[in-house]
Amino acid sequence: MTRSLRTLAPHYVMLLPFFALFVVFFLYPIGSGFYYSFFQWDAINEPTYVGVENYSDIMGSRKFEKGITNILTYVAITVPLGITVAFLLAVLVDSFNGFWSKVFRSAYFVPVMMPLFLAATLWRWIYAPNFGILNTFLGWFGIDSINFLNNTDTMLLAMIAVDVWVSAGFNMVIILAGLKNVPQHLYEAARLDGANKLQEIRYVTIPMIAPVLFFVVTYGFISALQVFDVPWLLTTSEFTSYGGRRQTLLFPVMDMIGRGFGALKFGEAAAYGFILTVIIMTVTATLFLIRRRIK
Amino acid sequence: MGLKTTTLSVSAAMLMTAASSVSAQDVTLDYWVYADFATGAAGDLQEAFISEFEEANPGVTINMTGRAGGDLTAGTIAGAASGDIPDIFMNTTAVGAQLDQAGALANIYPYWSALPQDVRDQFNPELIDLCTPRPETMLCIPYTGYGSFMYRNLGVLEEAGIDPDAPIETWDQWLAQMEQIDAAGKTAVPDMSLIWFSILAVYAGLVDESAWGIDWETKTTLIQPEPYARALEVIAQMEPYSSGTSLWDQATNDLFTSGELAFSLNGPWANPGYEKAAEANSDFRYDWVLVPGPEAGSSGGVQGYEMIGIAPGENAEIAFNFVMHVVEKEQMVRWASELGRYNSNQAALDAVGENSLLEITAAAIPGSLYNRPPFFEGVYPADYYQTMVDFAQEVVGGDMTAEEAAAATVEALNELLQDG
Repeated sequence: MTRSLRTLAPHYVMLLPFFALFVVFFLYPIGSGFYYSFFQWDAINEPTYVGVENYSDIMGSRKFEKGITNILTYVAITVPLGITVAFLLAVLVDSFNGFWSKVFRSAYFVPVMMPLFLAATLWRWIYAPNFGILNTFLGWFGIDSINFLNNTDTMLLAMIAVDVWVSAGFNMVIILAGLKNVPQHLYEAARLDGANKLQEIRYVTIPMIAPVLFFVVTYGFISALQVFDVPWLLTTSEFTSYGGRRQTLLFPVMDMIGRGFGALKFGEAAAYGFILTVIIMTVTATLFLIRRRIK
Repeated sequence: MGLKTTTLSVSAAMLMTAASSVSAQDVTLDYWVYADFATGAAGDLQEAFISEFEEANPGVTINMTGRAGGDLTAGTIAGAASGDIPDIFMNTTAVGAQLDQAGALANIYPYWSALPQDVRDQFNPELIDLCTPRPETMLCIPYTGYGSFMYRNLGVLEEAGIDPDAPIETWDQWLAQMEQIDAAGKTAVPDMSLIWFSILAVYAGLVDESAWGIDWETKTTLIQPEPYARALEVIAQMEPYSSGTSLWDQATNDLFTSGELAFSLNGPWANPGYEKAAEANSDFRYDWVLVPGPEAGSSGGVQGYEMIGIAPGENAEIAFNFVMHVVEKEQMVRWASELGRYNSNQAALDAVGENSLLEITAAAIPGSLYNRPPFFEGVYPADYYQTMVDFAQEVVGGDMTAEEAAAATVEALNELLQDG
């Protein structure tokens, strides 16, 4: 025992800097946030203990209801759509070799590297009524100008399009890495058995890259549930005014930030964070459970 | 003693006072400014003010950082919460209540009241009152300010056959010009219903300060439904001539500078961009007029002020001395002359020679409404402005009459305020 401790001690000592940083920058903020979620606190005056009032106030508020409705709709569309687009792009890029493979891979990855405020400005221009590229294009077919970012019927879809455009490149690169690892002889065998391209994808590609797809799906859910920057920028939101027309693009993280920095209700904002954490953990655990069942 | 000599001696006295108050230990002050005040000509001036102060106060170092408006607020509030707040920071008085509630603002009244009377007399007393919400409690030094006005693209007006010298003081004249512009295949205005700033600019033509803002005692909005309905009606009349983009959209700016849009309601901050665009494109010519009101002699617009706040703590006094150096007449004359920016130092504004941007800003202020009054009293609910916008768009979309929307706006805002 003593000997093994002596052997292991240097390893633990070497790990100590990491654990110290982990405690200071990870565990302490989480613990502190959880503590403040039971207090009414404006960041400067003494916090007042309010029990679970912050949690009940949030869950009883119309904004929370709106935010949750919006996020559910958004997740239901954006996760499958985003992953399908990324998968198709990966298959397309994988079908090229050499120079063109690199060109397409880089081209699809550009939106990931582009600063988001720039992407949002670009898309606000694309969506601009009367003068935007999209409306000009629709005008050629006799379709009246649409205010995509202000019409409550189109706002969410317009935002999802931007989101997919931004995130598809990242998911594509991950899926592409998975595709490269699929042994070629499996495709050859499938072809010998008379499989067409779609059947190759259905019976070879998807099962072989299932772990990669699972990662992309899980990551997609987690990112989607925390969506903030794209709707914030598209609606030109501020701490004191966010979510766009009729709060069509109001999402939970925006509301959390607004309660904190807009209304100085840091206790509520902390509670909001923990509600979101519970939701995200539940979704992730469910995904893992589904995967285990499928396996 | 001439005015200039007085100013110099006051300035020197302040710098010396500052120097004597610096302890033997070196002091570094963090100074957060608006991003556009940290670059270009404004940045050069700020650097010059800092160098002058540092030179006169050996041991004092000032670190200036430029930050966007939202970052300034979030960073200052987060800093106040964690005890790591910048010593000196700019922001708009519109977030004064938030900063005050967060404990980010030191009470500088003792330092202010100790200043010589002739220094205090340099400032616009109304703006000093604005920073002094309670007796013997002064929370900021008023800095720059604006009254919004209307930029006009002269090329577009000419294409539409409009004489730029023709009066455009009333809504009727404005709408008549919009019709001509539309007939010429150009766009007249941004969509005025998309942001509170443009709604308020129109509403300001009809009312004074008593009909705008929040009564925090009763937690009710001060918006008056009748004039507000009239403003919404006019905004709806402008809709057919609008670009569909908001005043603050980059697309609106691009349309204006590229000769597609005739009118852009904005503040003096838009001018440097327009100046650059005009230098790059000789076809782009512009001027400015007041935002038209319902009748001749009235005008609309929004006014707002930037302030400099000082964090509570041991550096507060030296920070105050630095701020006074920045806002003192000599510096403000340079600031106003070079940038054409309106500011709180009335003596400096009076001393600046002809400057048309300064003149239009000053002329716009009497007809304008404050952006978020009353300052330093309460934090506006997050949905306040969005509610105004939502109902304005119901009118523009034809889903509500202006009267219905005005009544619904007031009701919804009161509900928001009551809910806290």
